[in-house]
Amino acid sequence: MLSTSRITVGYGHKVVLKDVSLDIKPGEFIGVVGPNASGKSTLLKTLARLLKPLCGVVYIDGRDMSRMTGQEVARRIGVVLTERIQPGLLSSFEIVAIGRYQYTDPFGRLTARDRVIIEDSLRATGALSLSDRRFSELSDGEKQRVMIARALAQEPSILILDEPTTHLDAKGRVEIMLLLRKLSRNKKIAIIASTHDVELAIRLCDKLIVCNEGIVKVYDVPEQLVEEGGVEELYGFNGELTFCKETLVAEPVVKDGGDFRVFVIAGGGSGLLVYRLLSRLGYFFVTGVLHKGDIDYTVARSVGARIIAEEPFREISEESFSEALRELQEANLLVYTSPPIGRLNQRNLELLSAGHALGLPIIYYARDNHIDIHLGENKIVHSISLLKDVLEEHRKKSLEKKGLSILKTE
Amino acid sequence: MANNFFRHGSIVWTAILLPIIPLIVLLSISIGSVSVPLEKSIAVLMGLGGQDVSTIIINAIRLPRVLAALAGGAALGISGAILQVFFRNPIADPYVIGVSSGSALFIAFAVFMGTSLGIGNPFSPYTLYLAGFIGALMVSLFMIFASGFVRGVTTLLIIGVAISYLASALTSILQAISDIERLHVFIFWVMGSFSGAKWVFVNFLIIALIAGLVFSLLLAKPLNAFMLSENYAQSMGINIRVVKVGTIALASFLTSVVTVVAGPVGFIGLVAPHISRYLSSSSDNRVVLPLSAIVGSIITAIADLAARTLMMPRDLPITAITAIFGAPLVIILLLKGGAT
Repeated sequence: MLSTSRITVGYGHKVVLKDVSLDIKPGEFIGVVGPNASGKSTLLKTLARLLKPLCGVVYIDGRDMSRMTGQEVARRIGVVLTERIQPGLLSSFEIVAIGRYQYTDPFGRLTARDRVIIEDSLRATGALSLSDRRFSELSDGEKQRVMIARALAQEPSILILDEPTTHLDAKGRVEIMLLLRKLSRNKKIAIIASTHDVELAIRLCDKLIVCNEGIVKVYDVPEQLVEEGGVEELYGFNGELTFCKETLVAEPVVKDGGDFRVFVIAGGGSGLLVYRLLSRLGYFFVTGVLHKGDIDYTVARSVGARIIAEEPFREISEESFSEALRELQEANLLVYTSPPIGRLNQRNLELLSAGHALGLPIIYYARDNHIDIHLGENKIVHSISLLKDVLEEHRKKSLEKKGLSILKTE
Repeated sequence: MANNFFRHGSIVWTAILLPIIPLIVLLSISIGSVSVPLEKSIAVLMGLGGQDVSTIIINAIRLPRVLAALAGGAALGISGAILQVFFRNPIADPYVIGVSSGSALFIAFAVFMGTSLGIGNPFSPYTLYLAGFIGALMVSLFMIFASGFVRGVTTLLIIGVAISYLASALTSILQAISDIERLHVFIFWVMGSFSGAKWVFVNFLIIALIAGLVFSLLLAKPLNAFMLSENYAQSMGINIRVVKVGTIALASFLTSVVTVVAGPVGFIGLVAPHISRYLSSSSDNRVVLPLSAIVGSIITAIADLAARTLMMPRDLPITAITAIFGAPLVIILLLKGGAT
């Protein structure tokens, strides 16, 4: 339907992307991702004929697009751009009606059929109730729905959108992406949308076009980009973010360091909120022994924790156990998140006793009120906010002590 | 959903405003240093005036003058409206493209240098009209040419403003080296007035206006798409270059004919489109353009009547009148927020 063979896109003499070969089919929802200034917009503008390719040809239905009339292109391709429009007092209906440009008479008078298509377009984007409202008074998400309806009113077989989710909040972004996916399915139109939201694009798009450093790569299966570790490469996260392959989420890594060390005994999902709390508060923490593939393992890795790990479905080995023991001796505090205990992770209980024997302060964290094991006079907390208070108290005391000892030595 | 024209009550406004025009004509031809009774004026309009003085005054002076004001105001209203949309700038008016400055320069040339260069009598109105026309035409042609290749409308706007400054600079040099008598002739022209309107020019103005009005209605549809943005317009298959050249050509044509007949008449082209958008509460150019023509003609004719009667028998510059009444109006409309 829309295809290119080795086109070069750019402005004037500046080449932005080279050797772009695409073949887009009806009903496909295609995400265009890449860092800022990687040429996403330039590529989309070229596909929409707002820019001429520096070399090569863009074909629509097998025909050279540059040889088609404006009307022929406008009846095939609808466009939504990033530029914010200020259409004065025009209503949403009037904006969408402008999309009928190539179908109306020289005075732009609407026929009954035009009206039906305008209303259908507004309905398809969930904007029918906005018809009579002034465009300038709509929210960003509503405006975007109207602009998509306007493009649909051109009755296109291809919809090209440049960052349609950029000005929107989290809910709006998801809604617009879902809407685009639905439109591609219901109307059998090809939808090509650039976005910064890789996480959403991987989840919702049929294919990904990845622009990076002058090169375009097409992923027929978005998951392949994750599999290849391409997302981190794409955004050059510099260790400040990690992309979690399991959850498809970019995770910020807090690197405050700090000399107050916490050891966390967790597993089976009992520790993940504790990890996030510790990471956010800037604690240095070690956790173990976790089995690889455990959700706690995944989250701990995402937030950049030091992990003592065991291979999946194996009993904790002597090796991992003694490593954990060594780390425990360095710790200032032990947090026990009451993980489910079975044959494979039994030795974590030994670790707990070892911590007790070392005289470490231990905090028992359990969401439910029931705590099986409780050694000594240590704190039990039932909510993460209480856990935070207790943690901070310990850290403060420890730092005060250290300050005192420094004073004495001086 | 009803057609915009009905929905915004524009037809109502047209129905209210159009009958005002014959009333203004009637008032304008009756009021003056020689008062003519209304019945007599009506009779003259119907061609039953006879040969008396008041009939001659009406036919030779007052009627062409009010018709020129009506047609000129309409032309300025349309010109301002399309330029505001085109430049996406609510303070654009017909003179941003430099037409009046070009006109002024050539008139200054004819007045101040005419005798020494031997280009006819510098005090003859025909010399002035011709010079003004050539000046306006040259700037128009240049702007039309520029609009064909300049990419951004803002660049075009700046070119227009720059040309105005350039022409004004040259004009001021000519003024500085001229004598008082010639300066007076020139200043009188610069102040703008419909007082010199002759039937030849009135006919010319009206024909130009009708042509401009028809052309503007054809431009309304692409200008609506242009309101989104140039890229959007292009994505809908609109030939941007044709729209640019067409808009600048129409605006400079309409502005030129008015400027040649009356000199620069300020404020009409700025305020008439705003009033029209406010009245119709629409930005649809198919509504705003014709309404701007009607509003522009009414305001101009009233201002012209005021200009020649407020301090009878002296003629005041019409721009002074339009600005004194127009400025507060613009501010009120903008503060109310309904007009941009």
